[in-house]
Amino acid sequence: MSNIIGIVNYGIAGNIHSIEKAIKAAGGQTLVINKPEQFNNVDKLVLPGVGSFRDAMQELSSDGFIEPLKNNTKPILGICLGMQILSTIGLEYGKTKGLDFITAEVKPMLVDAKVPHVGFNHIDVINSNEILEDLEGEEFYFMHSYEMVNYTEIAALTEYANHKFVSSVKKGNIYGVQFHPEKSREAGVKLFENFINLKGEK
Amino acid sequence: MKVRIIAKLDVKPPYVVKPVHFEGLRKVGTPSEMAKKYYNQGADEVMYIDIVSSLYQRNIIFDEIEKTANELFIPFGVGGAVRTIEDFSKLFHIGADKVAINTYAIQEDPSIINKAAKIFGNQAVVVNIEAKKWDNYWECYTDCGRIQSGKDVLEWVKEVEQRGAGEILLQSVDADGRNRGFDLELCKKVVELVDIPVVLTSGAGSLEDIKEVIEYAKPSGVAIASLLHYDKYTIQDIKEYLRKNNIEVSG
Repeated sequence: MSNIIGIVNYGIAGNIHSIEKAIKAAGGQTLVINKPEQFNNVDKLVLPGVGSFRDAMQELSSDGFIEPLKNNTKPILGICLGMQILSTIGLEYGKTKGLDFITAEVKPMLVDAKVPHVGFNHIDVINSNEILEDLEGEEFYFMHSYEMVNYTEIAALTEYANHKFVSSVKKGNIYGVQFHPEKSREAGVKLFENFINLKGEK
Repeated sequence: MKVRIIAKLDVKPPYVVKPVHFEGLRKVGTPSEMAKKYYNQGADEVMYIDIVSSLYQRNIIFDEIEKTANELFIPFGVGGAVRTIEDFSKLFHIGADKVAINTYAIQEDPSIINKAAKIFGNQAVVVNIEAKKWDNYWECYTDCGRIQSGKDVLEWVKEVEQRGAGEILLQSVDADGRNRGFDLELCKKVVELVDIPVVLTSGAGSLEDIKEVIEYAKPSGVAIASLLHYDKYTIQDIKEYLRKNNIEVSG
């Protein structure tokens, strides 16, 4: 069985190169996806994201990715902004509708500390799943100013300045991580390995 | 909150150099080999600053940067001679996670900060500050501490924050390369003034200097160059020392 990880390239996803590199280090094969038709050539999808919620949704829309993503049944891993846009709505530069895989909103982090939250931080696994296997308590690299607010699909929480926020979600075969596994040393490579080892389409 | 310990590479392509008070340069290795070494030692990030291309009005040398990015599975910041949105875009494309800008934003067009933040996200835009101390204020310099700008550092950091910068890399023209400690007042003032993360660099001559500036100024990170380059200390040494002194670090 083939096991190719498609990385959705929708214009603003600047860190594609790093993600490809980390997936290869984890023993996986990658394909950069520039058109929705290419979904047929891969087994799983990674949804990266750098920039704002609004711009990400605009780019996905203008590249024709929104419907194909909603109709897709392959496992998806959303990274950072790619996790945030799995939500119902985002509040960065006005209200923007997200992909709505996970009933959630994305709002600014309100903490008594510097924002963005940048640096390595622990994850506290609340509800373990395949991709977080063997990663309880590991440190991952975070770089974000907004957080996903959800109470039902939480896989892991992380604490920053006495504030706990959602650092990983899972619903069915949709996975999201607020941190950057591609920037998180061996623990990040391990997370990609777990994603590679997931069973494919349901 | 964990303080990030960042390895800083001052690059005069194709070598990492150690500037002595922004003047004489000594070669210490290639960027990719040094980056790999500090990655293996446990650096939280690597910051690559081309210290000559802006001054010589050269273009960015992308090959060396890409080669360095390929060695790392941690965040990688790049700065030096960044002048256009295309420069930002190309640097992200070859593996940079953050791009630092100084000269162009001060001398030509500060609105490049707004544009870059809007396109690439605030967290990806770092403003590099070279502060020179005068009697009762600090002035921003550019081109590796050579050109005066007339801008007050404390006003400029507020301005760049409002324009959407996601991080400040604070250098001191006076303390850089002297290994005699940080400009503590400058560091504290800037950290207190802005809400975005501030990374301090310039002046670490000992482990005590690093501890002192973290305790006094409470920065988000400290970027270390010469202390590492001559193998005086490794990143592990620095982190262990800080941990023993009750300062939280990763790893």
